[in-house]
Amino acid sequence: MTTVTKTKETVAPQRKAKRPLWMRLRQSPAAAALLFLAPGLLFLVVLRIAPAVSAVASSLFHYSLLRDTTSFVGFDNYATLFRDSDFHQAVLVTLLFNVIINPLQIAVSLALAVLLNQKLAGVRFWRALVFLPIAVPPAVSAVVWDVAFQPNGLINAFLRVFGLPAQPFLTSGSQALWSIMILCSWIGVGYWMMFLISGLNDIPTSLYEASTLDGAGAWKRFWYITFPMLRRPLAFVLVADTVSNFLVFAPVQILTNGGPENATNLAMFDIYRRAFTLGNMNLAQAEVVLLMLVTLVVVAVQFRLLRSKE
Amino acid sequence: MTTPSVPRRRLGRTVGTVAAAVIGIAFAFPLLWVLTSSLRPGNDIFSYLSPLSIGSFLPIHADPASYGALVHSDFGRAILNSIVVSLVTVVFGLLFSAMAAFGLSAIKFRGQGVLFGIVVLSFLIPFDAISIPLADLFRDVNLQNTYLGLILPGIGNGLAIFLMRQFFLAIPTEIVEAARMDGLGWWGVFTRIYLPLSKPTLVGAGMTLFLFQWQAYMWPLLIGTEPSKQLAPIALANMRGQFTVDFGQVFAGSLVLTVIPLVLILVFQRHYTQSLASTGTKD
Repeated sequence: MTTVTKTKETVAPQRKAKRPLWMRLRQSPAAAALLFLAPGLLFLVVLRIAPAVSAVASSLFHYSLLRDTTSFVGFDNYATLFRDSDFHQAVLVTLLFNVIINPLQIAVSLALAVLLNQKLAGVRFWRALVFLPIAVPPAVSAVVWDVAFQPNGLINAFLRVFGLPAQPFLTSGSQALWSIMILCSWIGVGYWMMFLISGLNDIPTSLYEASTLDGAGAWKRFWYITFPMLRRPLAFVLVADTVSNFLVFAPVQILTNGGPENATNLAMFDIYRRAFTLGNMNLAQAEVVLLMLVTLVVVAVQFRLLRSKE
Repeated sequence: MTTPSVPRRRLGRTVGTVAAAVIGIAFAFPLLWVLTSSLRPGNDIFSYLSPLSIGSFLPIHADPASYGALVHSDFGRAILNSIVVSLVTVVFGLLFSAMAAFGLSAIKFRGQGVLFGIVVLSFLIPFDAISIPLADLFRDVNLQNTYLGLILPGIGNGLAIFLMRQFFLAIPTEIVEAARMDGLGWWGVFTRIYLPLSKPTLVGAGMTLFLFQWQAYMWPLLIGTEPSKQLAPIALANMRGQFTVDFGQVFAGSLVLTVIPLVLILVFQRHYTQSLASTGTKD
């Protein structure tokens, strides 16, 4: 390899003016790059960006079943949504869900990352056990916990051992949302922990050694070294986790259908219900657009969080 | 020096180890229960739950009948569908993503930034959110209930392109220039230099593509409704929604759906976690 690096300077753009156009195009790096990019970019444009644009367009129209005509209605669909009590409920439930589950999952992931990054007996094995559920698909987690939450299921069997009364879980308006948080966190926490552990390993150990010499205790070391040095991975996990929790769908569709009494009517399920149960595609598309905007705002906040210090 | 005294440190370590063990077992516990329950045909699991004992969670009197029954049910077909869809997605997704990443890193040209912007934008748009408008578009061109319709959305994966571009950018341009001088075409540079150097990131991106399809629920629910085109998560949810539920089979199906990605994650864990972690923690 060392012999070839000598002849570096002769990249030949000067000769190409004399050649025919097709040969120049063949030689041009941009044309080559575009050929490499074409299939991948085509997929992204058609399968990600086009549907987003089509949702925006469709949200501005109204389809009338009676007359079988589609007419432009401007922001009417959005206005209808904002007056709709089911939509209010969906917004409320989605916010409540996220306000609780995101800080909870991140605090638990961080605590586990710190604990399972210590030199403890068998720590690699314990860490692997926490990792295991990340392989569980959301639909499987929903189905398994459904059986666990049954009146005669696993959780109530445990409660009985401790002499506690059986709980309704998924059929209770006050417990159903919490039950869904549990099954989402079981598969989520280990996943986010993985990013934080990798962040912890990037912190130079010399920082800890220096602070120990200065007499800093474990808590001070966490607060003044670990926490600030973990800013990047924490910001990333916060955003990625929030986005994924705004989009929770499978457990709701499989377990509760948004009930009881709309208590688990999270945004994605509300959209699905509007599109297919109620058959109002244009309203559903308006809600898709709102959900996309919310997730984009969350991501924009991440970029600010990451940039503010550099 | 004010380092904690040796006995205190030892105590801390013991407490830590006990905590780590309890938490690890708690997380893995539901999976053990799934395994045990999958070996108890029909609705036997409920009789093992009252009263609760150690025997409720250990696969004693194991009976694998549910797995046998599963093979001949709709779920058997659905698992095959899931495997086919995920594998085809990985092969074509890796090829197209690696090519795109190559076009965005190895070759320098004007306007590259704009094209990279499209990649970033595409993975900022959450797929589940746009799957309802996308399903609408797919129905217009009759792609519902086809393998093509199930596979296509998994192939265009901005995150996979992003991951590989990060890795490709670290490959020294001198190597490329030298190879070009020796008369190697761009395709040669891609297949003979970049791909062989990039095995860890190919594994990471491949896992990303695989898990996207394997775990998908919303998209196959919208587009693969016909029994012959159902994917395994949909078939599992349907099994649980039937009037008489065979819980042994539900758990057997759950275990199969979990073990396949689990084995892959454990085999490729180092590559997978490294490449994923690099999205969030580094520039």
